[in-house]
Amino acid sequence: METNVYQPAEDSALLAEAVVDHAEGRFLEVGTGSGWVAERAAREANVERVVASDVNPHACESARERGATLREEGHLGIDAVRGNLLDPFREDSFDTVAFNPPYLPTDPDNEWDDWMEQALSGGETGRKFLDPFVDDVGRVLRPGGRVLLLVSSLAGFDDVVARVESAGFDHETVVQESYPFEVLSILRLTK
Amino acid sequence: MKESLMDILCDPLDKSDLELEVTDRDGDEIITGRLVGTVTGEEYPIEDGIPNLLPPDMRDDE
Repeated sequence: METNVYQPAEDSALLAEAVVDHAEGRFLEVGTGSGWVAERAAREANVERVVASDVNPHACESARERGATLREEGHLGIDAVRGNLLDPFREDSFDTVAFNPPYLPTDPDNEWDDWMEQALSGGETGRKFLDPFVDDVGRVLRPGGRVLLLVSSLAGFDDVVARVESAGFDHETVVQESYPFEVLSILRLTK
Repeated sequence: MKESLMDILCDPLDKSDLELEVTDRDGDEIITGRLVGTVTGEEYPIEDGIPNLLPPDMRDDE
């Protein structure tokens, strides 16, 4: 069992469901973790290219290995890129961008400094990664593109919606599930 | 990384173009090499087929 890479959980399954139904064209998954959602995109979605990025080198290796297996099976592969959020991508590069951000609100005195902590913690607000992503994602989207963003109620659904609106996006909830401690939604953002 | 990825990658520091230098390739897949910022001069390694485009100040923790 890989312990330094986030493994697929309920949130991953919801994002994958939205990706299979709504992803098109050139697809990027930011913060891909094990690469499981990117693999679902390569196998089942109507996409022409799959790129997966993560800050964690072990995650990038996992995504690249999935990509190699997919190519051997005759599917689209996965191009793995190590980077911070959207920083290494050019403007107008993708038709679909998906992101399941680390979102657990975390006391700064209580953070463990390792890859799993980084995969889970969204800072004090739960929106440490979500906010800069929302502010920048319009840059890398091609005209008519869409974003599929996982939002937990723990990170403040209304705060996320306000951020999305101030970044100039229209939004629609395309998937939503309730769990004992949170409600998970997938927002589809369009311009 | 596939060479065609160059169409969508940029220097994370200033979004300018990158130049590809290949050390080892397998068909259209670049296994080892580096990406160099054409404006910043910053060097980003490609190792085991994965380009590392983290900015220099985030690159130390492996």
